[in-house]
Amino acid sequence: MAKENLSVWTSIPFWRRSAAWVTGFASILLIWLTFDTMGQISMGTEADLAKGITKRVPAPTVINYHIDYKMSEKRGHEVPVIGKKQPFFGKEWSEKEAAALLHLGKLTSQAKNCMNCHTLLGNGAYYAPDLTKAWLDPAWQKSGAMQAMTGKNTVEEAMAEFLQHPSQYPTHARMMPNLDITAEEAKGLVAFLKHMSSIDTNGFPRNFSKTVDQFKNGGTNAH
Amino acid sequence: MIDQFTDVVPSFFGMLNQGPLTLTIFLHTVIVLPMFWIYASEKKKLNK
Repeated sequence: MAKENLSVWTSIPFWRRSAAWVTGFASILLIWLTFDTMGQISMGTEADLAKGITKRVPAPTVINYHIDYKMSEKRGHEVPVIGKKQPFFGKEWSEKEAAALLHLGKLTSQAKNCMNCHTLLGNGAYYAPDLTKAWLDPAWQKSGAMQAMTGKNTVEEAMAEFLQHPSQYPTHARMMPNLDITAEEAKGLVAFLKHMSSIDTNGFPRNFSKTVDQFKNGGTNAH
Repeated sequence: MIDQFTDVVPSFFGMLNQGPLTLTIFLHTVIVLPMFWIYASEKKKLNK
């Protein structure tokens, strides 16, 4: 048979099969990725914490533990390290209580629209400091400027005090307004912040420790 | 080429995601290779 000049590129079945293959494969891939992501972001349990199993998002009872932030040479950025038990507002919270407190904190953060100025886990604004790792900010720790200013002895009490009367404390160049946060809501918000700081965010926000050092050397913003 | 796995939660995609573009290049390769076969089989059909 004489060789005709047949081109596959103009053949409709070729394009139809290619499109079917690409669409089909991409659909399967997206479904697979969805399940893969669900495994990554699902919250851990109290049992995981007790056994020291690292989850990207720990159980709400992580508020009963000391949380540290350490450089991991292996991963090339800082990771939250869940340490020993530490009372939160002077007590240990049960699974149910911790979940309820965290839920209250989340609802309050939405009701008071924290994200309008702050950033939480990459969402929100950069008008006010990034709150993703606020719990770990040395300014709130013992001998830190923020804790000293509020006259409290623990990070959680200092943060709760500040949240209830933010306009009393000169902090940022752009001071936080009074949002009528109640004592209970403030507790919830602090629990929400503590839990958030324990989430493994692949080192986000970047250079946390570097900016903390700048802060210690007289900078004005710890984030 | 395959480095030690460093992610918190083990995952197939995490394993492939060794650096910039590695996952992208892999997935594109996987998608494009069967298209050579589709091309060849269509060519065969047309020649018939």
